[in-house]
Amino acid sequence: MRTEPKPRIEDLLRELAPQVLGTLMRRHEQLDACEDAVQEALLAASLQWAKKGVPENPRSWLVTVASRRLVDEWRSESARRRREETAAVLDLSDRGKTADHDDTLALLFMCCHPSLSVPSQLALTLRAIGGLTTAEVAHAFLVPEATIAQRISRAKERIRSTGVRFDLPPEPERSDRLRVVLHALYLVFNEGYTTTSGTAVHRTDLTAEAIRLARMLHALMPAEGEAAGLLALMLLTDARRAARTTDDGSIVPLDEQRRELWNTAQIEEGVALLTRTLGTVPIGPYQLQAAIAAVHDEAASATETDWPQILALYEVLERVSPGPVVTLNRAVAVARVHGPRAGLALLGTLDTDDRMAHTHRLEAVRGHLLELAGEPAAARESYRRAARMTASLPEQRYLMLRAARLT
Amino acid sequence: MKYMIMTFGSAEAGLEAMGKEWMVEMIQFMHKLDDDLRKSGELVSAEGLADGSQAKTVRFENGISVATDGPFAEAKESLVGYWIVDVESEGRAIEIASRIVDFVKVPIEVRQVMDAPPEF
Repeated sequence: MRTEPKPRIEDLLRELAPQVLGTLMRRHEQLDACEDAVQEALLAASLQWAKKGVPENPRSWLVTVASRRLVDEWRSESARRRREETAAVLDLSDRGKTADHDDTLALLFMCCHPSLSVPSQLALTLRAIGGLTTAEVAHAFLVPEATIAQRISRAKERIRSTGVRFDLPPEPERSDRLRVVLHALYLVFNEGYTTTSGTAVHRTDLTAEAIRLARMLHALMPAEGEAAGLLALMLLTDARRAARTTDDGSIVPLDEQRRELWNTAQIEEGVALLTRTLGTVPIGPYQLQAAIAAVHDEAASATETDWPQILALYEVLERVSPGPVVTLNRAVAVARVHGPRAGLALLGTLDTDDRMAHTHRLEAVRGHLLELAGEPAAARESYRRAARMTASLPEQRYLMLRAARLT
Repeated sequence: MKYMIMTFGSAEAGLEAMGKEWMVEMIQFMHKLDDDLRKSGELVSAEGLADGSQAKTVRFENGISVATDGPFAEAKESLVGYWIVDVESEGRAIEIASRIVDFVKVPIEVRQVMDAPPEF
Protein backbone atom coordinates (compact mmCIF):
# COMPACT_ATOMS: atom_id res chain seq x y z
CA MET A 1 0.00 0.00 0.00
CA ARG A 2 1.23 3.47 -0.90
CA THR A 3 -0.12 6.76 0.28
CA GLU A 4 -0.50 9.40 -2.38
CA PRO A 5 -1.68 12.99 -2.25
CA LYS A 6 -5.28 13.44 -3.41
CA PRO A 7 -4.79 14.98 -6.88
CA ARG A 8 -2.62 12.00 -7.81
CA ILE A 9 -5.46 9.62 -6.91
CA GLU A 10 -7.93 11.61 -8.99
CA ASP A 11 -5.62 11.53 -12.01
CA LEU A 12 -5.14 7.81 -11.61
CA LEU A 13 -8.87 7.20 -11.30
CA ARG A 14 -9.67 9.19 -14.39
CA GLU A 15 -6.98 7.39 -16.35
CA LEU A 16 -8.34 4.02 -15.26
CA ALA A 17 -12.04 4.89 -15.63
CA PRO A 18 -12.38 4.12 -19.37
CA GLN A 19 -10.29 0.93 -19.05
CA VAL A 20 -12.48 -0.37 -16.24
CA LEU A 21 -15.66 0.56 -18.08
CA GLY A 22 -14.33 -1.00 -21.28
CA THR A 23 -13.59 -4.24 -19.46
CA LEU A 24 -17.09 -4.38 -18.02
CA MET A 25 -18.65 -3.48 -21.36
CA ARG A 26 -16.79 -6.27 -23.15
CA ARG A 27 -18.54 -8.71 -20.85
CA HIS A 28 -21.99 -7.14 -20.44
CA GLU A 29 -22.61 -4.67 -23.27
CA GLN A 30 -25.01 -2.58 -21.17
CA LEU A 31 -23.66 0.91 -21.05
CA ASP A 32 -26.05 2.37 -18.49
CA ALA A 33 -25.65 -0.41 -15.90
CA CYS A 34 -21.87 -0.69 -16.43
CA GLU A 35 -21.35 3.05 -16.31
CA ASP A 36 -23.31 3.44 -13.08
CA ALA A 37 -21.30 0.60 -11.55
CA VAL A 38 -17.99 2.19 -12.60
CA GLN A 39 -19.05 5.59 -11.23
CA GLU A 40 -19.83 3.95 -7.89
CA ALA A 41 -16.50 2.13 -7.89
CA LEU A 42 -14.66 5.38 -8.64
CA LEU A 43 -16.44 7.08 -5.77
CA ALA A 44 -15.63 4.21 -3.41
CA ALA A 45 -12.00 4.32 -4.53
CA SER A 46 -11.60 8.06 -4.03
CA LEU A 47 -12.92 7.71 -0.48
CA GLN A 48 -10.99 4.57 0.48
CA TRP A 49 -7.68 5.16 -1.29
CA ALA A 50 -7.29 8.61 0.21
CA LYS A 51 -7.52 7.04 3.68
CA LYS A 52 -5.92 3.63 3.21
CA GLY A 53 -3.62 4.22 0.28
CA VAL A 54 -3.71 3.04 -3.32
CA PRO A 55 -3.93 -0.76 -3.69
CA GLU A 56 -1.17 -2.70 -5.46
CA ASN A 57 -3.26 -3.22 -8.56
CA PRO A 58 -5.73 -0.31 -8.68
CA ARG A 59 -7.22 -1.39 -11.99
CA SER A 60 -8.15 -4.85 -10.68
CA TRP A 61 -9.52 -3.28 -7.53
CA LEU A 62 -11.82 -1.05 -9.58
CA VAL A 63 -12.89 -3.85 -11.93
CA THR A 64 -13.70 -6.10 -8.98
CA VAL A 65 -15.65 -3.45 -7.09
CA ALA A 66 -17.50 -2.27 -10.19
CA SER A 67 -18.48 -5.77 -11.29
CA ARG A 68 -19.54 -6.54 -7.72
CA ARG A 69 -21.86 -3.51 -7.88
CA LEU A 70 -23.17 -4.64 -11.21
CA VAL A 71 -23.96 -8.06 -9.77
CA ASP A 72 -25.60 -6.52 -6.68
CA GLU A 73 -27.71 -4.40 -8.96
CA TRP A 74 -28.81 -7.40 -10.95
CA ARG A 75 -29.46 -9.50 -7.89
CA SER A 76 -31.87 -6.95 -6.56
CA GLU A 77 -33.33 -6.56 -10.02
CA SER A 78 -34.13 -10.13 -10.90
CA ALA A 79 -33.16 -13.66 -10.05
CA ARG A 80 -32.93 -14.83 -13.64
CA ARG A 81 -29.67 -12.98 -13.95
CA ARG A 82 -28.12 -15.08 -11.22
CA ARG A 83 -26.55 -17.50 -13.68
CA GLU A 84 -24.41 -14.71 -15.08
CA GLU A 85 -23.10 -13.57 -11.73
CA THR A 86 -20.23 -15.95 -11.19
CA ALA A 87 -19.05 -15.51 -14.72
CA ALA A 88 -19.27 -11.75 -14.35
CA VAL A 89 -16.81 -11.64 -11.50
CA LEU A 90 -14.52 -14.45 -12.58
CA ASP A 91 -14.01 -13.50 -16.20
CA LEU A 92 -12.80 -10.02 -15.41
CA SER A 93 -9.32 -10.95 -14.31
CA ASP A 94 -6.48 -8.97 -15.87
CA ARG A 95 -6.17 -9.49 -19.58
CA GLY A 96 -3.61 -8.41 -22.11
CA LYS A 97 -2.86 -4.76 -22.81
CA THR A 98 -4.18 -5.10 -26.38
CA ALA A 99 -7.61 -6.10 -25.11
CA ASP A 100 -7.62 -3.08 -22.78
CA HIS A 101 -6.68 -0.77 -25.62
CA ASP A 102 -9.39 -2.14 -27.87
CA ASP A 103 -12.01 -1.90 -25.13
CA THR A 104 -11.22 1.75 -24.39
CA LEU A 105 -11.32 2.51 -28.11
CA ALA A 106 -14.58 0.62 -28.58
CA LEU A 107 -16.01 2.67 -25.74
CA LEU A 108 -14.86 5.91 -27.32
CA PHE A 109 -16.38 4.95 -30.67
CA MET A 110 -19.61 4.10 -28.87
CA CYS A 111 -19.76 7.43 -27.02
CA CYS A 112 -19.16 9.27 -30.29
CA HIS A 113 -21.58 7.23 -32.35
CA PRO A 114 -23.01 9.23 -35.26
CA SER A 115 -26.57 8.34 -34.22
CA LEU A 116 -26.14 10.48 -31.07
CA SER A 117 -26.58 14.25 -31.14
CA VAL A 118 -23.34 16.18 -30.82
CA PRO A 119 -24.13 17.58 -27.32
CA SER A 120 -24.88 14.00 -26.22
CA GLN A 121 -21.60 12.72 -27.66
CA LEU A 122 -19.65 15.34 -25.72
CA ALA A 123 -21.47 14.74 -22.42
CA LEU A 124 -21.19 10.97 -22.67
CA THR A 125 -17.52 11.04 -23.69
CA LEU A 126 -16.58 13.32 -20.81
CA ARG A 127 -18.38 11.12 -18.33
CA ALA A 128 -17.65 7.61 -19.60
CA ILE A 129 -14.12 8.20 -20.96
CA GLY A 130 -13.08 11.31 -19.07
CA GLY A 131 -14.38 9.98 -15.77
CA LEU A 132 -15.93 13.37 -14.92
CA THR A 133 -18.99 13.41 -12.71
CA THR A 134 -22.27 14.66 -14.14
CA ALA A 135 -21.89 17.78 -11.97
CA GLU A 136 -18.44 18.46 -13.42
CA VAL A 137 -19.67 18.08 -16.99
CA ALA A 138 -22.61 20.39 -16.22
CA HIS A 139 -20.27 22.97 -14.69
CA ALA A 140 -18.03 22.88 -17.74
CA PHE A 141 -20.92 23.54 -20.13
CA LEU A 142 -22.59 26.06 -17.81
CA VAL A 143 -25.90 24.19 -17.67
CA PRO A 144 -27.76 22.62 -14.72
CA GLU A 145 -26.70 19.15 -13.60
CA ALA A 146 -30.18 17.77 -14.38
CA THR A 147 -29.76 18.85 -18.01
CA ILE A 148 -26.54 16.86 -18.43
CA ALA A 149 -27.94 13.89 -16.48
CA GLN A 150 -30.88 13.81 -18.86
CA ARG A 151 -28.66 14.17 -21.90
CA ILE A 152 -26.50 11.24 -20.77
CA SER A 153 -29.46 9.03 -20.00
CA ARG A 154 -31.03 9.80 -23.37
CA ALA A 155 -27.76 9.00 -25.11
CA LYS A 156 -27.63 5.63 -23.34
CA GLU A 157 -31.27 5.00 -24.25
CA ARG A 158 -30.49 5.76 -27.87
CA ILE A 159 -27.49 3.43 -27.84
CA ARG A 160 -29.75 0.70 -26.50
CA SER A 161 -32.64 1.30 -28.87
CA THR A 162 -30.55 1.64 -32.04
CA GLY A 163 -28.51 -1.44 -31.16
CA VAL A 164 -25.12 0.30 -31.26
CA ARG A 165 -22.54 -2.45 -30.75
CA PHE A 166 -19.67 -2.28 -28.31
CA ASP A 167 -16.97 -3.02 -30.83
CA LEU A 168 -14.37 -1.41 -33.01
CA PRO A 169 -16.08 -0.25 -36.21
CA PRO A 170 -15.30 -2.49 -39.19
CA GLU A 171 -12.57 -1.31 -41.55
CA PRO A 172 -14.70 0.34 -44.26
CA GLU A 173 -16.37 2.61 -41.64
CA ARG A 174 -13.32 3.09 -39.46
CA SER A 175 -12.04 6.36 -40.91
CA ASP A 176 -15.48 8.01 -41.01
CA ARG A 177 -16.15 6.95 -37.43
CA LEU A 178 -12.72 8.18 -36.34
CA ARG A 179 -13.52 11.55 -37.90
CA VAL A 180 -16.60 11.84 -35.64
CA VAL A 181 -14.51 10.96 -32.56
CA LEU A 182 -11.84 13.52 -33.48
CA HIS A 183 -14.48 16.16 -34.10
CA ALA A 184 -16.08 15.52 -30.70
CA LEU A 185 -12.72 15.95 -28.95
CA TYR A 186 -12.04 19.05 -31.02
CA LEU A 187 -15.40 20.51 -29.91
CA VAL A 188 -14.62 19.79 -26.25
CA PHE A 189 -11.34 21.66 -26.70
CA ASN A 190 -13.02 24.52 -28.52
CA GLU A 191 -15.69 24.81 -25.85
CA GLY A 192 -12.94 25.15 -23.29
CA TYR A 193 -10.92 27.54 -25.35
CA THR A 194 -12.87 30.59 -24.34
CA THR A 195 -11.90 32.85 -21.51
CA THR A 196 -14.75 35.08 -20.51
CA SER A 197 -14.06 36.43 -17.05
CA GLY A 198 -15.73 34.51 -14.26
CA THR A 199 -16.02 31.23 -16.11
CA ALA A 200 -12.39 31.04 -17.17
CA VAL A 201 -11.26 28.54 -14.54
CA HIS A 202 -13.75 25.82 -15.34
CA ARG A 203 -13.55 26.23 -19.06
CA THR A 204 -9.78 25.90 -18.86
CA ASP A 205 -10.40 22.53 -17.21
CA LEU A 206 -12.37 21.48 -20.28
CA THR A 207 -9.40 22.35 -22.49
CA ALA A 208 -7.08 20.30 -20.30
CA GLU A 209 -9.56 17.44 -20.44
CA ALA A 210 -9.71 17.58 -24.24
CA ILE A 211 -5.91 17.43 -24.40
CA ARG A 212 -5.87 14.50 -21.99
CA LEU A 213 -8.42 12.61 -24.12
CA ALA A 214 -6.59 13.42 -27.36
CA ARG A 215 -3.37 12.19 -25.74
CA MET A 216 -5.13 8.96 -24.81
CA LEU A 217 -6.53 8.53 -28.32
CA HIS A 218 -3.11 9.12 -29.86
CA ALA A 219 -1.59 6.50 -27.53
CA LEU A 220 -4.32 4.04 -28.52
CA MET A 221 -4.00 4.73 -32.25
CA PRO A 222 -0.37 5.80 -32.80
CA ALA A 223 -0.56 5.03 -36.53
CA GLU A 224 -3.45 7.45 -37.12
CA GLY A 225 -1.90 10.68 -38.35
CA GLU A 226 -5.01 12.73 -37.68
CA ALA A 227 -5.16 11.62 -34.03
CA ALA A 228 -1.58 12.84 -33.67
CA GLY A 229 -2.46 15.96 -35.66
CA LEU A 230 -5.39 16.82 -33.40
CA LEU A 231 -3.27 16.44 -30.27
CA ALA A 232 -0.54 18.60 -31.80
CA LEU A 233 -3.11 21.22 -32.84
CA MET A 234 -4.52 21.37 -29.31
CA LEU A 235 -1.07 21.63 -27.71
CA LEU A 236 0.12 24.32 -30.13
CA THR A 237 -3.09 26.36 -29.79
CA ASP A 238 -3.43 26.01 -26.04
CA ALA A 239 0.24 27.02 -25.65
CA ARG A 240 -0.83 30.63 -26.38
CA ARG A 241 -3.63 30.67 -23.81
CA ALA A 242 -2.00 32.89 -21.19
CA ALA A 243 -1.27 35.55 -23.81
CA ARG A 244 -4.63 35.41 -25.54
CA THR A 245 -6.59 37.50 -23.08
CA THR A 246 -5.92 40.24 -20.58
CA ASP A 247 -6.97 40.02 -16.91
CA ASP A 248 -10.40 41.47 -17.70
CA GLY A 249 -11.04 38.85 -20.37
CA SER A 250 -10.34 41.11 -23.37
CA ILE A 251 -8.99 39.41 -26.48
CA VAL A 252 -5.40 40.08 -27.54
CA PRO A 253 -4.89 39.37 -31.27
CA LEU A 254 -2.02 37.08 -32.24
CA ASP A 255 0.28 39.83 -33.52
CA GLU A 256 -0.05 41.81 -30.27
CA GLN A 257 0.43 38.89 -27.86
CA ARG A 258 3.33 38.84 -25.39
CA ARG A 259 5.15 35.80 -26.70
CA GLU A 260 7.15 35.28 -23.51
CA LEU A 261 3.83 34.14 -21.98
CA TRP A 262 3.53 31.28 -24.45
CA ASN A 263 4.05 27.80 -23.02
CA THR A 264 7.33 26.70 -24.61
CA ALA A 265 7.19 23.13 -23.26
CA GLN A 266 3.82 22.63 -24.91
CA ILE A 267 5.06 24.15 -28.17
CA GLU A 268 8.08 21.83 -28.16
CA GLU A 269 5.88 18.82 -27.52
CA GLY A 270 3.45 19.80 -30.30
CA VAL A 271 6.25 20.46 -32.80
CA ALA A 272 8.01 17.18 -31.95
CA LEU A 273 4.77 15.27 -32.35
CA LEU A 274 4.14 16.92 -35.69
CA THR A 275 7.68 16.26 -36.91
CA ARG A 276 7.31 12.57 -36.09
CA THR A 277 3.96 12.43 -37.87
CA LEU A 278 4.25 14.53 -41.02
CA GLY A 279 5.45 12.61 -44.03
CA THR A 280 4.94 9.20 -42.45
CA VAL A 281 1.15 9.03 -42.84
CA PRO A 282 -1.44 10.45 -45.25
CA ILE A 283 -1.78 14.18 -44.60
CA GLY A 284 -5.04 15.41 -43.05
CA PRO A 285 -6.69 18.67 -41.99
CA TYR A 286 -5.74 18.45 -38.29
CA GLN A 287 -2.08 17.87 -39.13
CA LEU A 288 -2.13 20.84 -41.50
CA GLN A 289 -3.83 23.14 -39.01
CA ALA A 290 -1.29 22.03 -36.42
CA ALA A 291 1.52 22.77 -38.87
CA ILE A 292 0.14 26.29 -39.37
CA ALA A 293 -0.13 26.79 -35.59
CA ALA A 294 3.48 25.61 -35.30
CA VAL A 295 4.72 28.24 -37.78
CA HIS A 296 3.05 30.95 -35.67
CA ASP A 297 4.35 29.47 -32.42
CA GLU A 298 7.93 29.22 -33.68
CA ALA A 299 8.14 32.87 -34.80
CA ALA A 300 10.12 34.92 -32.29
CA SER A 301 7.95 37.96 -33.07
CA ALA A 302 4.85 38.73 -35.15
CA THR A 303 6.97 40.41 -37.85
CA GLU A 304 9.20 37.33 -38.15
CA THR A 305 6.22 35.06 -38.94
CA ASP A 306 6.90 32.97 -42.04
CA TRP A 307 3.73 33.97 -43.92
CA PRO A 308 4.76 32.41 -47.26
CA GLN A 309 4.98 29.05 -45.49
CA ILE A 310 1.60 29.60 -43.81
CA LEU A 311 0.10 30.48 -47.19
CA ALA A 312 1.56 27.32 -48.75
CA LEU A 313 0.08 25.24 -45.91
CA TYR A 314 -3.36 26.84 -46.37
CA GLU A 315 -3.18 26.03 -50.08
CA VAL A 316 -2.59 22.37 -49.23
CA LEU A 317 -5.34 22.49 -46.60
CA GLU A 318 -7.76 23.90 -49.14
CA ARG A 319 -7.02 21.00 -51.48
CA VAL A 320 -7.31 18.36 -48.74
CA SER A 321 -10.34 19.81 -47.00
CA PRO A 322 -11.92 22.67 -48.95
CA GLY A 323 -14.42 24.98 -47.26
CA PRO A 324 -15.23 28.64 -46.81
CA VAL A 325 -13.46 28.91 -43.43
CA VAL A 326 -10.24 27.63 -44.97
CA THR A 327 -10.57 30.11 -47.84
CA LEU A 328 -11.15 32.87 -45.30
CA ASN A 329 -7.98 32.00 -43.42
CA ARG A 330 -6.05 31.68 -46.66
CA ALA A 331 -7.18 35.23 -47.52
CA VAL A 332 -5.42 36.49 -44.38
CA ALA A 333 -2.22 34.73 -45.46
CA VAL A 334 -2.60 36.04 -49.03
CA ALA A 335 -2.94 39.57 -47.62
CA ARG A 336 0.28 39.15 -45.61
CA VAL A 337 2.23 37.79 -48.58
CA HIS A 338 0.74 39.65 -51.56
CA GLY A 339 -0.84 42.68 -49.89
CA PRO A 340 -4.29 43.49 -48.45
CA ARG A 341 -5.90 44.11 -51.87
CA ALA A 342 -5.12 40.53 -52.98
CA GLY A 343 -6.59 39.25 -49.70
CA LEU A 344 -9.73 41.35 -50.14
CA ALA A 345 -10.18 40.05 -53.68
CA LEU A 346 -10.14 36.47 -52.38
CA LEU A 347 -12.62 37.41 -49.63
CA GLY A 348 -14.93 38.73 -52.32
CA THR A 349 -15.32 35.20 -53.66
CA LEU A 350 -16.97 34.27 -50.35
CA ASP A 351 -19.66 36.98 -50.49
CA THR A 352 -22.04 34.73 -52.39
CA ASP A 353 -21.33 31.68 -50.22
CA ASP A 354 -24.44 30.95 -48.13
CA ARG A 355 -22.36 29.14 -45.53
CA MET A 356 -20.61 32.43 -44.70
CA ALA A 357 -23.69 34.65 -44.79
CA HIS A 358 -24.51 34.32 -41.12
CA THR A 359 -21.07 34.24 -39.56
CA HIS A 360 -19.21 37.23 -38.27
CA ARG A 361 -15.81 35.93 -39.35
CA LEU A 362 -16.00 37.10 -42.94
CA GLU A 363 -16.76 40.68 -41.87
CA ALA A 364 -14.18 40.60 -39.07
CA VAL A 365 -11.44 39.57 -41.50
CA ARG A 366 -12.65 42.06 -44.09
CA GLY A 367 -12.48 44.81 -41.49
CA HIS A 368 -8.92 43.82 -40.67
CA LEU A 369 -7.83 43.76 -44.33
CA LEU A 370 -9.60 47.06 -45.12
CA GLU A 371 -7.77 48.59 -42.18
CA LEU A 372 -4.44 47.33 -43.58
CA ALA A 373 -5.43 48.67 -47.01
CA GLY A 374 -5.89 52.14 -45.54
CA GLU A 375 -9.68 52.33 -45.72
CA PRO A 376 -10.70 53.15 -42.14
CA ALA A 377 -14.33 54.08 -42.86
CA ALA A 378 -15.08 50.83 -44.70
CA ALA A 379 -13.10 48.86 -42.09
CA ARG A 380 -15.21 50.39 -39.33
CA GLU A 381 -18.42 49.31 -41.05
CA SER A 382 -17.15 45.74 -41.42
CA TYR A 383 -16.08 45.57 -37.77
CA ARG A 384 -19.50 46.84 -36.70
CA ARG A 385 -21.32 44.30 -38.85
CA ALA A 386 -19.12 41.54 -37.43
CA ALA A 387 -19.80 42.75 -33.87
CA ARG A 388 -23.53 42.47 -34.49
CA MET A 389 -23.17 38.90 -35.76
CA THR A 390 -20.84 37.28 -33.24
CA ALA A 391 -22.18 35.12 -30.39
CA SER A 392 -19.06 35.63 -28.28
CA LEU A 393 -19.16 38.50 -25.81
CA PRO A 394 -15.38 39.08 -25.56
CA GLU A 395 -15.20 39.00 -29.34
CA GLN A 396 -18.04 41.50 -29.67
CA ARG A 397 -16.24 43.88 -27.32
CA TYR A 398 -13.00 43.40 -29.24
CA LEU A 399 -14.71 44.18 -32.56
CA MET A 400 -16.53 47.22 -31.16
CA LEU A 401 -13.23 48.56 -29.84
CA ARG A 402 -11.55 47.94 -33.21
CA ALA A 403 -14.37 49.94 -34.84
CA ALA A 404 -14.21 52.69 -32.22
CA ARG A 405 -10.45 53.06 -32.72
CA LEU A 406 -11.09 54.04 -36.34
CA THR A 407 -13.54 56.87 -35.62
CA MET B 1 -25.63 26.72 -28.44
CA LYS B 2 -27.82 28.52 -25.95
CA TYR B 3 -30.87 30.50 -26.95
CA MET B 4 -33.34 32.62 -25.01
CA ILE B 5 -36.92 32.15 -26.16
CA MET B 6 -39.10 35.04 -25.00
CA THR B 7 -42.83 35.57 -24.81
CA PHE B 8 -44.50 38.96 -24.55
CA GLY B 9 -47.89 40.28 -23.48
CA SER B 10 -49.84 39.61 -20.29
CA ALA B 11 -51.84 36.74 -18.81
CA GLU B 12 -54.79 39.08 -18.31
CA ALA B 13 -54.93 40.03 -21.99
CA GLY B 14 -54.69 36.34 -22.92
CA LEU B 15 -57.56 35.46 -20.62
CA GLU B 16 -59.72 38.25 -22.02
CA ALA B 17 -59.02 37.42 -25.64
CA MET B 18 -59.12 33.62 -25.45
CA GLY B 19 -61.30 32.65 -22.47
CA LYS B 20 -60.96 30.39 -19.46
CA GLU B 21 -60.74 27.04 -21.22
CA TRP B 22 -57.88 28.24 -23.34
CA MET B 23 -56.16 29.46 -20.19
CA VAL B 24 -56.40 25.99 -18.63
CA GLU B 25 -55.09 24.41 -21.83
CA MET B 26 -52.30 26.95 -21.95
CA ILE B 27 -51.18 26.07 -18.44
CA GLN B 28 -51.13 22.40 -19.39
CA PHE B 29 -49.29 23.18 -22.59
CA MET B 30 -46.57 25.12 -20.78
CA HIS B 31 -46.24 22.38 -18.20
CA LYS B 32 -45.84 19.76 -20.93
CA LEU B 33 -43.37 21.90 -22.85
CA ASP B 34 -41.12 22.40 -19.81
CA ASP B 35 -41.32 18.70 -19.13
CA ASP B 36 -40.38 17.79 -22.70
CA LEU B 37 -37.44 20.20 -22.73
CA ARG B 38 -36.25 18.79 -19.41
CA LYS B 39 -36.49 15.24 -20.75
CA SER B 40 -34.63 16.08 -23.94
CA GLY B 41 -31.75 17.50 -21.89
CA GLU B 42 -32.13 20.92 -23.48
CA LEU B 43 -33.65 23.05 -20.71
CA VAL B 44 -31.24 25.39 -18.93
CA SER B 45 -33.86 27.50 -17.18
CA ALA B 46 -37.36 28.83 -17.61
CA GLU B 47 -39.08 31.58 -15.66
CA GLY B 48 -42.32 33.51 -15.79
CA LEU B 49 -42.30 37.15 -14.77
CA ALA B 50 -44.78 39.03 -12.57
CA ASP B 51 -47.25 41.13 -14.53
CA GLY B 52 -45.75 44.11 -16.32
CA SER B 53 -48.07 46.46 -14.38
CA GLN B 54 -46.00 45.66 -11.27
CA ALA B 55 -42.76 46.65 -12.95
CA LYS B 56 -40.55 49.50 -11.82
CA THR B 57 -38.42 51.42 -14.20
CA VAL B 58 -35.22 53.00 -12.99
CA ARG B 59 -34.12 56.00 -15.02
CA PHE B 60 -31.35 58.53 -14.92
CA GLU B 61 -32.97 61.93 -14.35
CA ASN B 62 -31.39 65.25 -13.40
CA GLY B 63 -28.11 63.60 -12.53
CA ILE B 64 -29.47 60.80 -10.31
CA SER B 65 -31.22 57.45 -10.76
CA VAL B 66 -34.96 57.51 -9.99
CA ALA B 67 -37.34 54.52 -9.70
CA THR B 68 -40.85 54.99 -11.00
CA ASP B 69 -43.91 52.71 -11.00
CA GLY B 70 -45.35 50.98 -13.97
CA PRO B 71 -44.42 49.69 -17.36
CA PHE B 72 -43.68 52.19 -20.01
CA ALA B 73 -43.88 49.82 -22.90
CA GLU B 74 -47.29 48.71 -24.13
CA ALA B 75 -48.53 45.55 -22.38
CA LYS B 76 -48.09 43.49 -25.54
CA GLU B 77 -44.42 44.49 -25.64
CA SER B 78 -43.82 43.50 -22.05
CA LEU B 79 -41.75 40.40 -21.36
CA VAL B 80 -43.84 37.77 -19.57
CA GLY B 81 -41.56 34.77 -19.55
CA TYR B 82 -38.57 33.06 -21.07
CA TRP B 83 -36.84 29.75 -21.60
CA ILE B 84 -33.11 29.33 -21.96
CA VAL B 85 -32.38 26.19 -23.93
CA ASP B 86 -29.07 24.60 -24.86
CA VAL B 87 -29.62 23.06 -28.29
CA GLU B 88 -27.67 21.63 -31.19
CA SER B 89 -28.62 24.33 -33.70
CA GLU B 90 -30.56 27.52 -34.28
CA GLY B 91 -33.03 25.39 -36.25
CA ARG B 92 -33.88 23.42 -33.12
CA ALA B 93 -34.43 26.64 -31.10
CA ILE B 94 -36.79 27.87 -33.80
CA GLU B 95 -38.60 24.51 -33.77
CA ILE B 96 -39.22 24.90 -30.02
CA ALA B 97 -40.39 28.50 -30.50
CA SER B 98 -42.69 27.40 -33.34
CA ARG B 99 -44.34 24.89 -31.06
CA ILE B 100 -45.14 27.74 -28.64
CA VAL B 101 -46.30 30.05 -31.43
CA ASP B 102 -48.57 27.35 -32.84
CA PHE B 103 -50.29 27.36 -29.48
CA VAL B 104 -50.24 30.97 -28.26
CA LYS B 105 -50.49 32.52 -31.76
CA VAL B 106 -48.45 35.57 -30.73
CA PRO B 107 -44.87 36.35 -31.80
CA ILE B 108 -42.00 34.77 -29.90
CA GLU B 109 -38.47 36.13 -29.95
CA VAL B 110 -35.47 33.81 -30.26
CA ARG B 111 -32.07 35.26 -29.29
CA GLN B 112 -28.73 33.53 -29.07
CA VAL B 113 -26.98 33.73 -25.70
CA MET B 114 -23.45 35.02 -26.09
CA ASP B 115 -21.47 32.09 -24.79
CA ALA B 116 -19.74 30.98 -27.97
CA PRO B 117 -15.95 30.69 -27.90
CA PRO B 118 -14.19 33.59 -29.63
CA GLU B 119 -12.56 32.59 -32.90
CA PHE B 120 -9.41 34.68 -32.83
